[in-house]
Amino acid sequence: MGAVTPLGENFPISWNALLAGRDAATPLDLFDTTGCRCHHAASATLPALTGVSAKTICRLARASRLAIPAAREALASAGLLDAEGRSTLRELPFSVATTAGGMTFGEDFLRRVLARDGSHRFSQASRYLPQQQVLDVQQALGFAGHSVIIANACASGANAIGHAADLIATGAADCVLTGGFEALTELVFVGFDCLQATSTDRCRPFDLNRSGLLLGEAAAFLVLESAEHAQRRGATPLCELTGYGHTTDFFHLTQPQPDGAALVEVMHAAASQARIAPAQIRYINAHGTATAVNDGTEAKAYGAFLDDALGSTRISSTKAAIGHTLGAAGAVEALFAIAALRTGHLPPQLNLQTPIPEMATALVGAKESSSDMEHVMSVNLGFGGSNAALVFSRSESS
Amino acid sequence: MKIDLAVIGQGAVSPAGVGLDALLHRMPVPLPVAALGQQDPPWPVLRVDLKDPAFARWQREARLRRASSMTFFLIEAAEQALAGISPSDRAETGLIVAFSAGCLSYSRRFFEGIVKQGQKTASPALFPETVFNSPVSHVASVLGLNGAAYALCGDETAWVAALQTASIWLRRGRVKQVLVMGAEEFDPIVLDAYRSARWLRRENSDHGFLASEGAAGILVSRARPENARMITTARDGLIYRTKKEASAAAKRLLSESDPALPCYPSAQHNWLGPLEKKATQNRTLVPMGGRPYLGEAFTASAAWHTLRALNRVSSELPCLLLPVWGLNHQLGLLELEAQK
Repeated sequence: MGAVTPLGENFPISWNALLAGRDAATPLDLFDTTGCRCHHAASATLPALTGVSAKTICRLARASRLAIPAAREALASAGLLDAEGRSTLRELPFSVATTAGGMTFGEDFLRRVLARDGSHRFSQASRYLPQQQVLDVQQALGFAGHSVIIANACASGANAIGHAADLIATGAADCVLTGGFEALTELVFVGFDCLQATSTDRCRPFDLNRSGLLLGEAAAFLVLESAEHAQRRGATPLCELTGYGHTTDFFHLTQPQPDGAALVEVMHAAASQARIAPAQIRYINAHGTATAVNDGTEAKAYGAFLDDALGSTRISSTKAAIGHTLGAAGAVEALFAIAALRTGHLPPQLNLQTPIPEMATALVGAKESSSDMEHVMSVNLGFGGSNAALVFSRSESS
Repeated sequence: MKIDLAVIGQGAVSPAGVGLDALLHRMPVPLPVAALGQQDPPWPVLRVDLKDPAFARWQREARLRRASSMTFFLIEAAEQALAGISPSDRAETGLIVAFSAGCLSYSRRFFEGIVKQGQKTASPALFPETVFNSPVSHVASVLGLNGAAYALCGDETAWVAALQTASIWLRRGRVKQVLVMGAEEFDPIVLDAYRSARWLRRENSDHGFLASEGAAGILVSRARPENARMITTARDGLIYRTKKEASAAAKRLLSESDPALPCYPSAQHNWLGPLEKKATQNRTLVPMGGRPYLGEAFTASAAWHTLRALNRVSSELPCLLLPVWGLNHQLGLLELEAQK
């Protein structure tokens, strides 16, 4: 696993900061926000890119500056990186998620076109497209092969990981690099701001006084491989991906069905594929954007899905700490869920003052841990009604 | 990747008109459109006529009142491909749409509003429609496609990835059939981009392409009805950054397939055309036969080429190769076959 998040330049640093209760919200200085309601976000510090020339770095979108080190960390931790920092697998399928790709280049191109001064360049327009960030990662890490870019809004990251599992289950691949990336951009920030979805206060998922989301940026990847492939190369699995469900909620383009029925369906689909009962899931990394509509719906869905187990299953939204990272959210949150499964430490629900009553007993408190976790879940919802859920289970050989 | 998809429905919207017949036979007429940031004369562009009566029923749908033009291209092509499919079967149908630029027009208008009028006046009505999967959600909702839905993005080869994904869903039993689509919409901003790359064609010139727009889709299943046309193999992953790398990728792409298989040329008037010519020089080429030129619309073009090539497959031409020339990332290849 590998990640660059607003909490740190790699996954271990991010995880430890998350458990310590750090909230990464800071005043936003990547672009001017004068006309916005909200002026803060969770931005990441770009890690140094070793092995990439200064000339190449100048041409990279911010999204690529996040994605390359995160993907490299994932390959390194899987033992798939050579001494030169290149993938040992020259053909490596890549299942990736994003919603905005290299949008900052697109914004710059349009500004220059509108200025009508002839300074716009094709490279700005071509490099804003998401496949260019995919190519940046492939070339920086020295691999090629099948790639798929899923842009299912905020559920994309979970979809990308689920799709990687599907590739392996059908024999189309035996090892896949998968995850998502997203960089903060003005277009997207202003978009959420004009919808009044961003908070001017702290991000407080599942709180009665929640007032909106915190936007963030991140990249997170994991190496998913068949048990046979792992065994053949002597790799020890961190866990198993045992369940994946995805559905489309037709209620509204930007709002979930109020009773959460589509979300309940997707969680049941994932649990069913994992061959487990809902009560066996000991931790859920919730979508929890801290918007009024999302969290209310999600709370109802957890009540319907977990039934009596709501309260014994621990739930938290890590968006309070790292913000909503859109296309990367499903990936980075899946990594947090896996880390919880492996360590027994649970990410606390930050910024909680007055929990919404139906979730009060389920939300993770500070320094909570669990010693009996066999299965965890990561849940995501997105614009367009995209819903996705992943179940990770303890691996017998881990 | 072996994908073995039987094509059981087809639909298209192009500058040539609405429907498969127009796609195969009608010649579209270019319209002059000015670039946003240039003083030069307007460029000839191939546009879909949204005043075509076929779109009227969709323009009355409440859900689509703010939808992008691309959504209308998609939904009309989707309905054609789903002709004869019952509501209960539609409920078990998945939807995968490949995009290159996505909802470009709304994205440009939204950001132009920010630049010209400031962030305070940004439109909350426009922003949700800029998201890649918004048209997918609209189409699935209005047509009752309750199966899974993915928006994929990339260059032309996103169409190949969409077909591969459909095959995966069918093998996993996630859905009964999958509607696989490609769609793009035109916005004048692309003229500024393509002009910078010297990709555009002037009238009375053979150099460069015409910017275009539209959508197409095929309904695919694992079941093989009699006389079905098949897409048996989908290859992608031959990536490039430079022309030299693209040339090597093109050579490799065609060298991996049976040299006896005829090839349907598809790199029309773009910079990959010469590479296609070189890579296919020792192969039988399927005659173009007066095929009307539809311009360059990336994933929609890939889908159009696939429909046209599928309609060439017959007992006389039982199998052919269709290269999918991605202009911005990688090269791909499909193998099409007539069911024996």
